[in-house]
Amino acid sequence: MPVLECKGLTKRFGRVTALDEAAFSIEPGRIVGLPGPNGSGKTTLIKLANGLLTPDGGYIAICGFAPGRESHALVSYLPERTAIPVWMTARQLMDFYCDFYRDFRRDAAEEMLAHLNIHPHQSIKQMSKGTREKVQLIMVMSRAAKLYLLDEPIGGVDPATRDYILSTIIGNYNPEAAVLISTHLIADVEKVLDEVIFINQGRVMLQSTVDDIREEKGMSVDALFREVFKC
Amino acid sequence: MLRKLLKHEFRATGRIMLPMYLVLLVTAIGSNLAGRGMLDRPSRILNILAVLIVIAFASAICGVLLMSFALMIQRFYKNLLQDEGYLMFTLPVSVHQHIWSKLIVAAVWFAVTILAIIAASLIVAYDVGFLREMLDFFRYFFEGLQKLKISEALNGTVYLVEFAVLMFLSLAAFSLQFYAALAAGHSRANHKMVWSVVWFFGFQFVLQMAMSSIFVMLDKLGVSNFLNIIDWNPSVTAAIHVGLLMAIGCVIVYGAIFYAVTTFFLKKHLNLE
Repeated sequence: MPVLECKGLTKRFGRVTALDEAAFSIEPGRIVGLPGPNGSGKTTLIKLANGLLTPDGGYIAICGFAPGRESHALVSYLPERTAIPVWMTARQLMDFYCDFYRDFRRDAAEEMLAHLNIHPHQSIKQMSKGTREKVQLIMVMSRAAKLYLLDEPIGGVDPATRDYILSTIIGNYNPEAAVLISTHLIADVEKVLDEVIFINQGRVMLQSTVDDIREEKGMSVDALFREVFKC
Repeated sequence: MLRKLLKHEFRATGRIMLPMYLVLLVTAIGSNLAGRGMLDRPSRILNILAVLIVIAFASAICGVLLMSFALMIQRFYKNLLQDEGYLMFTLPVSVHQHIWSKLIVAAVWFAVTILAIIAASLIVAYDVGFLREMLDFFRYFFEGLQKLKISEALNGTVYLVEFAVLMFLSLAAFSLQFYAALAAGHSRANHKMVWSVVWFFGFQFVLQMAMSSIFVMLDKLGVSNFLNIIDWNPSVTAAIHVGLLMAIGCVIVYGAIFYAVTTFFLKKHLNLE
């Protein structure tokens, strides 16, 4: 059974169609890139998968469940903004995740926080923007979820932090799970991807494995992205 | 999961409300001391200081009342409809549990605020003479109670319970009207807060129209004639009970309508920015 499946998925904001009849599926054990320029519908798609938006048409399911209470227990979601309550300390945030997610691995979270020298008693409000993003990523990757939906995890951070984030994702995701990474920084994530789904102006333009792109097109995913989305 | 939501909601709101109650307590003690030992002194500085302390106490009462009201709206708005909503709405909990957690916590803080203000007022009024008067009051009160018939004592207790339930439900229903307006306004793609205000006044208008229509309809249907026909002449005691129970019923219907509206928009039209 696909971990994430959508058919004819459509979302409009007034007269603007953000997602137009999107259809694809993602199997377990795959790391999938979702490249696309700004405003292409990546965030809309991820928000629909999380039930944060209501679709205007079509179907989306996570392990067979429509977005809702059951699917939320299976999905670990990293939004493109800081969503964790900033008045909490890192320890209180871990308590929060422990309370609501059975699959939260507190020992893994504590280890990652210690590795970054983040004190569990430090308030999130006192942390820099980059540190808050890292704490949020640590919480998300400390879950043994079935599907990780990561919206722009490396957008707006320095190259050293990018490497840390990617190594955290690769080193901590559940191997039986699927990972969907939305980004426009293809070159940085290409090395970790199994598949890509190109999305532009709300339409899915291509779903292919990275190996197929290299063999059939004779170019890297980054080069293909630049060719397809040339301004 | 509701229990866990309540735990975190109390933790989030308690860090604001508890210091407010502490300020109320400190200013109440200060006002008591000012009233007993500073106002009647010949020193002008002490007089001014006493007045300032009493003003601080009055401000603390206003502050704690305003804060419990503002917190009721702010927690729903910020925790569910702003950035934190990305975390909250992806928890494995239902929309019903989210609404109940916000509602219960808001109603509890309202109730605690009223009790805190009563307690603070007693602290301000307290002195040795006052304590004696209080003891006298309770002695007369219990002596009076002993003279009452069982039915009168029972009715008095039930009135108090009915009134307390009515107040508690009214606060919860009023909160739900705000939640419904915020949920409806934030289902729009743009100008979410403006739409929330429009929805709130829209609800208010519809509510008043509905109330007026119901009274006119009851009058036209001849309810008073009907009561005459069935020859229902309740005692004053029974009439007060019926009135309070009917008011509780109306508040439950009012709250249930806004609960349904809030649930509908959060479930079917969630549109986080």
